[in-house]
Amino acid sequence: MKYLILFTCLISFSTKIFAQDDLLQSLDSISPKKKDFVIATFKSTRVVNAHSIDVVGRRALDFRIAHRFGPFNSGFYNWYGLDGPATIKISLEYSFDGRLMFGIGRSSLQKMYEGFLKYRLLRQTTDGKMPLSITLLSSMNMNMQKKETVTNYIDFNSRFSYAHQAIIGRKFNEKLSLQVSPTLIHYNTIGISEQQNTMFMVVGAGRFKFTRSVALTFEYGLRFKNMTNNYEKYYNSFSLGIDIETGGHVFQMFVSNSIGMNEVQFLPYTSSSWKDGGIRLGFNVSRIFGI
Amino acid sequence: MKKISSILILGLAVLWCNIGFAQNQLKSNNTIIKFFSETPVENIDAICKEAVSILSIPKNQMAFSVPIKCFKFKNALMEEHFNEKYMESHQYPNATFAGTITDQIDFKNDGDYKFNVSGKLKIHGVEREINLPATAIVKQGKISLNADIMVKLVDYKIEVPTLVFNKIAEEIKVSIQSTYNNK
Repeated sequence: MKYLILFTCLISFSTKIFAQDDLLQSLDSISPKKKDFVIATFKSTRVVNAHSIDVVGRRALDFRIAHRFGPFNSGFYNWYGLDGPATIKISLEYSFDGRLMFGIGRSSLQKMYEGFLKYRLLRQTTDGKMPLSITLLSSMNMNMQKKETVTNYIDFNSRFSYAHQAIIGRKFNEKLSLQVSPTLIHYNTIGISEQQNTMFMVVGAGRFKFTRSVALTFEYGLRFKNMTNNYEKYYNSFSLGIDIETGGHVFQMFVSNSIGMNEVQFLPYTSSSWKDGGIRLGFNVSRIFGI
Repeated sequence: MKKISSILILGLAVLWCNIGFAQNQLKSNNTIIKFFSETPVENIDAICKEAVSILSIPKNQMAFSVPIKCFKFKNALMEEHFNEKYMESHQYPNATFAGTITDQIDFKNDGDYKFNVSGKLKIHGVEREINLPATAIVKQGKISLNADIMVKLVDYKIEVPTLVFNKIAEEIKVSIQSTYNNK
């Protein structure tokens, strides 16, 4: 019995006492267990044209310049699209808390002004208890072309269109992130040949990070025959790109068949197709300022 | 009856040994770790208030553990890059140090003490033998500890891309502040 007690005593001592590594082990037990959010699902708040689930960090101002060149099939005379006609979009986006983000932008296509709100509803956690991130996006677009050029202009309301999106995404590992976004688009006024003001589509997008600073991206906007206007006249938007991140900048370069950069433009109304070389080079530059 | 009492004694023996040991282990749940990177272009600093430490007086040993994700930066993007690109905190969630105090210090008496701790520092999955010069203040039996150390990024395989090379110092000053619970 005596020996047994001595033995037990020794065992229970030795499990804890030995060396510094065990000191580290007992540290584990007093470390606070916190739930951690998955970070950096994408390099930027956009995949190519579409929004990613990411929101800029707290007190971060994102200044973005986006550019789309002319189509490849315009031939050598037009330097395969580099001569234009090009579209440009400039925007400023900000978040106070890293959760709710807002932005304003202006695109040269249709002289379109845009304001949007983006809210991180759910965040994926590292412990896997929350497997997905969900971000909501709502944007309002104002076509400021001359009255005569706006489709079926009735009154000032005809200038407005809206996009609402629920972005559902997951970072599967350090390299692969995928997301899918059901999208509602609403135009206050539509053309004579069109039947619906409200359209529904789904955007799928993803990235594959192959070094810590460079990632491949893709994005596909799927329209549905009964839920979009002039299904045959337009094409699904498809873009393939590369993200290069250098500290405060993210450079996104890609080829896309879409020329518009706002959801209300590139999702329902992409008018050229990959098949006949109706694709173009484009880039987004994002510069983040801490304010 | 005899069986029960022997189990009881056994249990008590286990308990006694563990309590006896735990009494000499001082813990700190609010260890603060700060770091500074100074370059002519930019100064960067970050702070983590959730690090933990243990000081074992009878064994003359101490240890720290710092969750990398707890470092807070002024710039949220820097914080993200710090975790995602430099420290790879998804893979190496903690930085740790465990070492032996090489000088004879009597922590029971009030006073200021200077001493060295030699041990292993593990950052970014790389473990290195280091010597940590530290100071301790003992006041009414309560021990608080301060230590500063320079950490060279290349030593721990933390790569800084050439594009941002002039913004991040090659050597980072890390300072540790611990106050141990007097129990």
